Amino acid sequence: MRIVVLATGLFTLLAGAGCAHVAPYERGKLAEPTMTADDLDGPAAAHALATHEGATGGGSLSESGCGCN
Amino acid sequence: MQLTTRRPPHAIRRRSALHTAAKAFAVCVAILTGASEARASDPAVPDQTHTVRPERPDAKASPIEEPTLEDTTTKRAGFEFGAYQDTDNVKVITPSINVSVENVSGGSLSASYLVDVVSAASIDIVSSASTRAGWGEVRHAGAVSGQYKPHDFGVSVGGSVSSEPDYVSYGGYAMIVKEFDDKNWTLTLGYGYSHDTAGRCGIGGACTPFDVFSRPLERGAFNGGLAWVVNRDTLASVTFDLIIENGDQSKPYRYIAMFSPTVAPTVKPGASIDFVNANRLPEKPLEALPVTRDRLAVTGGIAHRFDGSTLRVDERIYDDSWGLKASSTDVKWLIDLGEHFLVWPHVRFHVQTQTDFWQLAYVSQPAPAFTLPRYRTGDRELGPLWTIDGGFGFRWRLAHEPDAPAWRIGLTADVMYTSFLDDLYLSNRTAYLGALQLETEW
Repeated sequence: MRIVVLATGLFTLLAGAGCAHVAPYERGKLAEPTMTADDLDGPAAAHALATHEGATGGGSLSESGCGCN
Repeated sequence: MQLTTRRPPHAIRRRSALHTAAKAFAVCVAILTGASEARASDPAVPDQTHTVRPERPDAKASPIEEPTLEDTTTKRAGFEFGAYQDTDNVKVITPSINVSVENVSGGSLSASYLVDVVSAASIDIVSSASTRAGWGEVRHAGAVSGQYKPHDFGVSVGGSVSSEPDYVSYGGYAMIVKEFDDKNWTLTLGYGYSHDTAGRCGIGGACTPFDVFSRPLERGAFNGGLAWVVNRDTLASVTFDLIIENGDQSKPYRYIAMFSPTVAPTVKPGASIDFVNANRLPEKPLEALPVTRDRLAVTGGIAHRFDGSTLRVDERIYDDSWGLKASSTDVKWLIDLGEHFLVWPHVRFHVQTQTDFWQLAYVSQPAPAFTLPRYRTGDRELGPLWTIDGGFGFRWRLAHEPDAPAWRIGLTADVMYTSFLDDLYLSNRTAYLGALQLETEW
């Protein structure tokens, strides 16, 4: 548990260190769909990962489980 | 109601001449530019230079044109066909469909449905159920969700169902989204709940009714995330998942080999079925797992936009109350190839420790002592392993007319190699995964 908390704090510090307020008209690159697209992997890939890894999280809340693991 | 009053005879003659001339013009235009433009030259369109307006043929039917409401929705529909095969004789095909509609006011609805068709003759099945040469199953899963986010605050809710002959699951979730500081920071908070019921089916697909044998599993998932703008080219995010599971998750098909205290140290990782059967004790109890599990994951992500490409890196750190710790690193480099093509090489590396109760060779005293370990498992995903996944994705956005539906074709292919570090029967597995996607938007 301690490693998770430490990793979170470190990541937040590093990523947030150089933060600057970016106005809406300066976000042309950030608006690029590939910056936030979460539909690159379909359900088949998500299922394969779920059954290959003992860990979970970082995904959607909307999935129901299966007895396939 | 008719808009014009009675017309004098000369006006009628003039209208007739105009009508004839306009008709001839319309025919010429139709020949040159097509019927749609010819309609624009229809003499029914009032001549604004004349004080007497010709009577419109449809004037009685609709004297005043109804204002048409503009459709501000965007609709999408997609189909994916996924196929999986690995060196442990497991094959899965997964066709799925999804549809969604969203409005400019911030509302959206979506639904999806998939079928998993699984056929397996894996080493686990062969080693524990020798009378069954193979095994097949079909799973149906559906999900619906809705979101409303008119400004900087939004809510989303959803539900899902998954059903297979010996396993049924349903769940729901709710989530809120709030943006701060001119959308430089976005906070999400959510909760999801699911209820699973595991049963048991026998040879030939005959299943024991759930009211005779079933094991419930309840799962509550708290989710929180923060995403922020780092600079003009970079986005970052961190997501927390706390998942609390209550219920017996042990598989009613999974039998665990037991060894005497003197034989257990001689069992090596990857020991064959023949070796295990020759050296194990006669008893082979079912798997037994703790009935509660608390799981915590923290995922950090960075997305950086270069000129013509985007690099996305995600790292997930995971820990749970069964003692399993894991790290998953995912890197995608999305490269624009002109206006219509996108390709992304992809690599993912996952490594995990074993659970506290994992053992290569479980020890039991011979009968009649039967000192079975309280917890015992043969689930490889609870043992130590690492997996490397490499592949690529490709997306082709087809050219289309401005008001015509847009079409998109996608293809992904991955190879996943897993090394099982302390398992019976199997030391590694190579899996191949491919998916073809077709999407349209209008």
